[in-house]
Amino acid sequence: MAVAAEAISSGQSAQYRRDRQKTFALLAPCVAFLLVLFVIPIGYVLLLSVTDPTVSLAQFERVFTTPIYLRVLWHTFFVAFVVTVLTLVLGYPLAYVTACRDDAWSKILLSLVALSFWTGLMVRTYSWMIILGKSGPVIGLIKAFGVAEPPQLLFTSFSSALGMTHIMLPYMVLALYSVMKKFEPNYLRAAESLGATPFTAFRAIFVPLSLPGVVNGSVLVFTICLGFYITPILLGGPRDIMLSQLIDQQVSEMLNWGFAAALSIVLLAATAVVLGIYNRLVGLDRLWG
Amino acid sequence: MQRIFLALAVIVAIFLTLPLLIIVPMSFSTVKTFQFPPPGYGLQFYRNFFSDPTWLEPTANSVVIAVIMAVLTMALVVPASFAYVRQRFLGRGLINLLIMAPLIVPSVVSALGYYGAFGLVRLNGTVLGVALAHTALAIPVAFLVMTATLKGFDRNLERAAMISGATPLRTFFHVTMPVLAPGIATAALFAFLASFNEAVVALFIAGRNASTLPKKMFESIRLETDPVISVVSTILVAILVCFMLGSLLRRGNPRNAS
Repeated sequence: MAVAAEAISSGQSAQYRRDRQKTFALLAPCVAFLLVLFVIPIGYVLLLSVTDPTVSLAQFERVFTTPIYLRVLWHTFFVAFVVTVLTLVLGYPLAYVTACRDDAWSKILLSLVALSFWTGLMVRTYSWMIILGKSGPVIGLIKAFGVAEPPQLLFTSFSSALGMTHIMLPYMVLALYSVMKKFEPNYLRAAESLGATPFTAFRAIFVPLSLPGVVNGSVLVFTICLGFYITPILLGGPRDIMLSQLIDQQVSEMLNWGFAAALSIVLLAATAVVLGIYNRLVGLDRLWG
Repeated sequence: MQRIFLALAVIVAIFLTLPLLIIVPMSFSTVKTFQFPPPGYGLQFYRNFFSDPTWLEPTANSVVIAVIMAVLTMALVVPASFAYVRQRFLGRGLINLLIMAPLIVPSVVSALGYYGAFGLVRLNGTVLGVALAHTALAIPVAFLVMTATLKGFDRNLERAAMISGATPLRTFFHVTMPVLAPGIATAALFAFLASFNEAVVALFIAGRNASTLPKKMFESIRLETDPVISVVSTILVAILVCFMLGSLLRRGNPRNAS
């Protein structure tokens, strides 16, 4: 008996060991690749931020004590917030229709969302430059209504936020869609058979059950917007700049790598704080579900 | 209420799609400005694109980089996702965080890091450097698709094959792989597109020699009003539309969108 039990347990532990070796062999290449080709470069930015030009926290001190830079930080958070709210307001009905209808509309609209999701950010940023540009259709329309001096649309905070909203909208829709798709339509029928109007049923049952999607989409859009690089640089104006525009200036005009690195670390920390809170409340692995 | 929502959804979808369509007439413009609608139509800028090496080289680079990185990404991600989904091990959460990190870290931060680190080992301005950086950035995307595919895989299929006398290797190649193939193809496609559309890291590290299409487009927008960019945009959107129509007709179901 004892011998048999021992044989089984040693067989199990051999199996266990084999499993562990297998797990290690399967994971090692990917983990090693990321350690060398991701963790080290990010570590390098951290190193740069406290050593360039001298070993000190002066670059961070400069970020947090200079009023202009604090303004940039504040403006970045503000724009990210506005874009998040806009994508939510625009994305909610679109996600609702794609998730809850089972007809051609749903398929067509979802395909358009997917098309726009996969169209590169550069293409979409460029098309906003045409639309809002000096000789573009919007200004043309304003002039046609007899306004002699149309307002400057392009290269303002407005055009930058509009472009970002357009680019982030598919992310929001898809985040909402994946939660709304799981909704059980019988709940609405139950509510309505108990006397609720369609609107009450929607407000009291559908909306609360869609909140996880709202949270996921908002966190996703907000964190991506904090670090949005290309679009604010191409569409944004010289005043009221975002963090990414400041980093761009420091790198390409001032060649001040230490300060750009410090700004990047601040950006990374801000993103980490938002995601950390999300992780505490919801769990990070649900974000991309 | 359904009608109100449908109307709102259609309006939002138009807002989403119209800017993609506006570049099509622009690409046939005859003048070298961003004037819309264009004063005349012609093929001049299509000829420019197909005869200008400063556009063709970045296009070729983009394709080469995206192919190399898609292969490399899948070689790394497929084994890792098997281990992650099927085994329980110490530090699983930490491994997950490491794999997802490139998606969490803002791209400017990664870009700055690659610029600095690759400068030390002379990878800046090389196709290999961009491909390696893009691989790291695409790993989480491919990993998400692969783990979702694997979680939906019915392991009884493998057990059935083994009971019927198939060796583990035979089971893997004749049962597991064919069932997972669509998921693997989707993951590889997502990785390819992630690299093909990636602009920020390329902007920092690609330099002149390994310039990619998004980098060339950025520079073209910033430095000159060159309508060739609308030609490139039109071609890219057209390829995407054809591809999506193809997969829609084949499956009759656009759910592979997300």
